[in-house]
Amino acid sequence: MWYEVAYVAGVTHALNAVADGLRMSPEFAPTGRTPLVPIPETFEPEVKTVLDEIAGFYAMEGPPAVFRWMARDPIFLSGYWSATRAAFSDRALDRRMKEVLALAASMTGKSDYGVDLHLREARRLGLTEQGLTEAVEVVQLFNTVTKIADTLRLEPDFDPRLEGAGRRPAHE
Amino acid sequence: MEIVRLTETQDLSAEDQKFCEATKAWFKIDFVPKMSRVLLTVPEFGRPYGRASRRAMADGALSRGEKELIAATVSAINVCEY
Repeated sequence: MWYEVAYVAGVTHALNAVADGLRMSPEFAPTGRTPLVPIPETFEPEVKTVLDEIAGFYAMEGPPAVFRWMARDPIFLSGYWSATRAAFSDRALDRRMKEVLALAASMTGKSDYGVDLHLREARRLGLTEQGLTEAVEVVQLFNTVTKIADTLRLEPDFDPRLEGAGRRPAHE
Repeated sequence: MEIVRLTETQDLSAEDQKFCEATKAWFKIDFVPKMSRVLLTVPEFGRPYGRASRRAMADGALSRGEKELIAATVSAINVCEY
């Protein structure tokens, strides 16, 4: 399960870095910002097949701009998309929960593009308004304590070299 | 290395030590987390923060386990070792 959390965090953070780094406008609540690079609009048939699958995965009329950008290199797109799909598919964690985690990652990473995409996806997959309230509260709480911990340079309570019931505070 | 001397649990007020015991039970651990001691160093901060935390981390529309996953994701993105 922790691998799934890590994959979702990694892929989300990377896609957000590309989308916001290149100033792509959010998909569902466009800000009107202009991408720094041209985003492809027309594609070869084999690339279009992959992009159509992506659009279907997100229940969108067209694929998100971040994947259209990747289509500049079809081999890279194919590999990265397959990994993304695997990361977000139902496994130990379901896809709705993974979208909630992606939303948390996007808010924490201050990604306009990611918050927009994953807020819509989490809601589309069934996150209620109460669930959203609770998720945002946890995001807020843990952004607080992680910043406090980093400011004071707190060392972990647990020694990561020890596992399970044998774990003891690292400072003892 | 911490840049402050952490408050020892026994130096907290009786009320706050009781809260620390509840924290140990909540996490099923046999020690008081450093963060609890940090937050309660200024009780006017730590007590209401603790109330907000207990409210937010309890089972609700999302389970406590799901909330811990969100917390872990926030910590990962912030690259917080603690």
